[in-house]
Amino acid sequence: MSDLIRGYGRALTAFFFAAAVAWGLILIILPQFAMLERAMTLPKRQLDSSVAGNLQRDSDTCATVLATYLEAPEDAPVSNGGMAFPSASGMSTQSNSGLAIPSASGMAVPSASGMASPTASGARPYILQCDRSTTRKRLVRDPDAPKEFLDETYGLPLIEVRDTDPIEVQIERAQEINALAATLFDDLRQREAEAFPYTLDNFSVMTAARLIPLSPEQRAIEDAKLSKQLYGLIGLRFEENGEVHERIGLIILVRTLTYAVAATALALLICYPIAYKVALATPPERAVWLFLGLVIPYAIVELMRIYAWTSILDNNGVLNGALAWIGAIGPDDPIQFKRFPGTVFVVIVYTYVLFMVFPIFNVMSTLDRNQVEAARDLGAAPWRVHWRVIIPHSKPGIAVGCIATFMLAAGAFSVPRIISSGLQAEWFSQTIYNKFFESENSNVGASYSFAYTLVCFVIVGVFMWAMRTRLKDFARVQ
Amino acid sequence: MRGQDVRLEAMQVTYPNGFTAVQRTDMTIEAGEFFSILGPSGCGKTTILRAVSGFVDPSAGAIRIGGEDQRGKGPNDRPTALIFQNLALFPLMTVWENVAFGLEARGVSKAERKRRAMELLDLVALPDQAEKKPTELSGGQRQRVAIARALAVEPAVLLLDEPLSALDLKLRQHMRAELRAIQKKTGVTFIYITHDQGEALTMSDRIAVMNAGVIEQVGTGDEIYSNPASAFVASFVGEANQFRGRVAALEGEMAYIDTPSGKLLGRNPGGLAPGAEAILFVRPEQVGFGGAFGNRLSAALSRRDLEGAFINYELTTAGGQRIMLHKTNDGADPAPGGGATEVGFACENALILPEGPVARTGREIAA
Repeated sequence: MSDLIRGYGRALTAFFFAAAVAWGLILIILPQFAMLERAMTLPKRQLDSSVAGNLQRDSDTCATVLATYLEAPEDAPVSNGGMAFPSASGMSTQSNSGLAIPSASGMAVPSASGMASPTASGARPYILQCDRSTTRKRLVRDPDAPKEFLDETYGLPLIEVRDTDPIEVQIERAQEINALAATLFDDLRQREAEAFPYTLDNFSVMTAARLIPLSPEQRAIEDAKLSKQLYGLIGLRFEENGEVHERIGLIILVRTLTYAVAATALALLICYPIAYKVALATPPERAVWLFLGLVIPYAIVELMRIYAWTSILDNNGVLNGALAWIGAIGPDDPIQFKRFPGTVFVVIVYTYVLFMVFPIFNVMSTLDRNQVEAARDLGAAPWRVHWRVIIPHSKPGIAVGCIATFMLAAGAFSVPRIISSGLQAEWFSQTIYNKFFESENSNVGASYSFAYTLVCFVIVGVFMWAMRTRLKDFARVQ
Repeated sequence: MRGQDVRLEAMQVTYPNGFTAVQRTDMTIEAGEFFSILGPSGCGKTTILRAVSGFVDPSAGAIRIGGEDQRGKGPNDRPTALIFQNLALFPLMTVWENVAFGLEARGVSKAERKRRAMELLDLVALPDQAEKKPTELSGGQRQRVAIARALAVEPAVLLLDEPLSALDLKLRQHMRAELRAIQKKTGVTFIYITHDQGEALTMSDRIAVMNAGVIEQVGTGDEIYSNPASAFVASFVGEANQFRGRVAALEGEMAYIDTPSGKLLGRNPGGLAPGAEAILFVRPEQVGFGGAFGNRLSAALSRRDLEGAFINYELTTAGGQRIMLHKTNDGADPAPGGGATEVGFACENALILPEGPVARTGREIAA
């Protein structure tokens, strides 16, 4: 600290310090806590109070619209051909689409739905909100759990707005429902506010097993696969009532981490000799050119590096073209490389290999070449020179490179998305994305994301322990 | 441990970039000898060392160790061990692991390795430092670990690449004696590379003086100092006053040389003929004040440096020739203050050698 003050002066040191604290707090600690909180709570619209609240709004709108209709049925605005307008809540509890149809300021408009005019029998045009106005509302529960309804769960009478009733009765019913829903809403809100807000439900989505419908033939093929047998061994795939179940979330997690570890290992195998060649086995003046060769790929945007591979792996890409040219495959019978899980793996290695080369190269180039010569002079075979002298020296660089490559591979999003174009099993980062942006419960995405961070953190920690890398060794990198 | 002889037979080393670091050389280093190769930096002495240890392949000729041709053998297959200028100890290993590394490479069991390492650490008087890391040791201790590490593989030839240059003066002088003692005790052939003539003269049985890829002279310290074979050796080993000129006349084994400072008489071991361009060398300690010498010069005192046991005088003749004069500091200061004075030296102490490249002076190196 006093060194900093001496080197930079008080004001600059205070600024550095503040910036460091702000960075740690705003960019590391707070987001993790925010993510954790989201992961451990249910989204508002999944709560029972939200169902009651929606019912309250729907029934209110229903009563209002019906009242308008009763006063001046001819003046009622004509709408565009029977289209239903959602209420302001924008959400049918039954809907799984998660997409809200935009409505004009949430105002519900009855439609003529092709009928000329209301009849004395009390028939009314189709009004979505009136259809929704029933106390038999389904509550949001786990898809596999038995269905639960508002009236049964909270002891409400079964009331609904039937369009066969006279309009006055319908209005009355809607108002009745509205009153019940309003009371229940307040009550539930109260209860929910008092209840413990945190739950592990979002995490249990990840570990939940899903039934995999398979025909006997498909199943025989699947059962024979080594990966499926391994999943069976660690309990991610099991049989229940003669049907196959898989814990899909965990399977994707395990699969992604396995590929990420394998990609890191392969990158290390490729990079160590390269780094050795450039750092130690080439005279410095020639190493400059090799070094340049390593830097140039960096100058290509990551997406371009990936797209280059699609032109190779495409059905009418370079690889298939070459194979067709030598006659290994028919011209109209391309090999669908995009379906091979190995392709994503290979492209990930290619894309992130640079993050392995440089840390190793940097540390290795600080090794005194005399030590290598001394070891050889003392009679050590080349492998022993590497094992006893070069690798121990380069260990911090190897650790940094492995951690960087592993984290990039584990978090890869564009590579699996572009290369597989949906033809292969998801990468876990894709699952997180989908849960965040394409599911009805984005808090599940938060739980996936937090769990993934935690798992990767543990893996990195175990790796550092296994490498016996102390944190201070990292100071030797650069 | 037994030393073996090393023979360079018409050996030449040319690097891929075309630079010939060592010109065609024939040289024999006897078994069990402490042999120094002395030369300025860049003269090719390290290349010879690397060629003997196997890091560099001679582009012509052969290297024989104990009569055996070393062609095609890597550094790990030769009966040599090299001590690097920066020692190149393995910083991540303990001292005893460093010492035992060569044995490890030979597949010796761990218990045996440790036993041998402790023996060698005893030999270099470091028995209680075995578990430390090299960085925890002092310069002199590290030096001795490097020696122990090299001796552990029981080499027939130990090659030392200026290993003392990083030490301070007192320690360096002590380590000289210690190296010599270890060499005597083990009987291993030592080839010692240095640019420090003091090291070479004090430790070596024989010395090779090298310049620009050529071995100029091989001989004992006395021979090299008293009877240098070339202008370079005369100027590089020890200090020498140089008088450039032309041989004027012969007188038996002696010759007269015409210099801007006058006609001087000196020994003529090379048998130079009259008219040959030559340089007359005389050591500063063999120059004295007064007129009782065969060769006499008139010069003015321009500097007096006290060096402790010696006083170094620098004088300048009317012709601009600088003369160095070293005198034992016996309490009397014979230097006259200012003005011209007479200095001289005995003819037997002056040596006339053919004109040739001379070692650069400190002033030239600094410039």
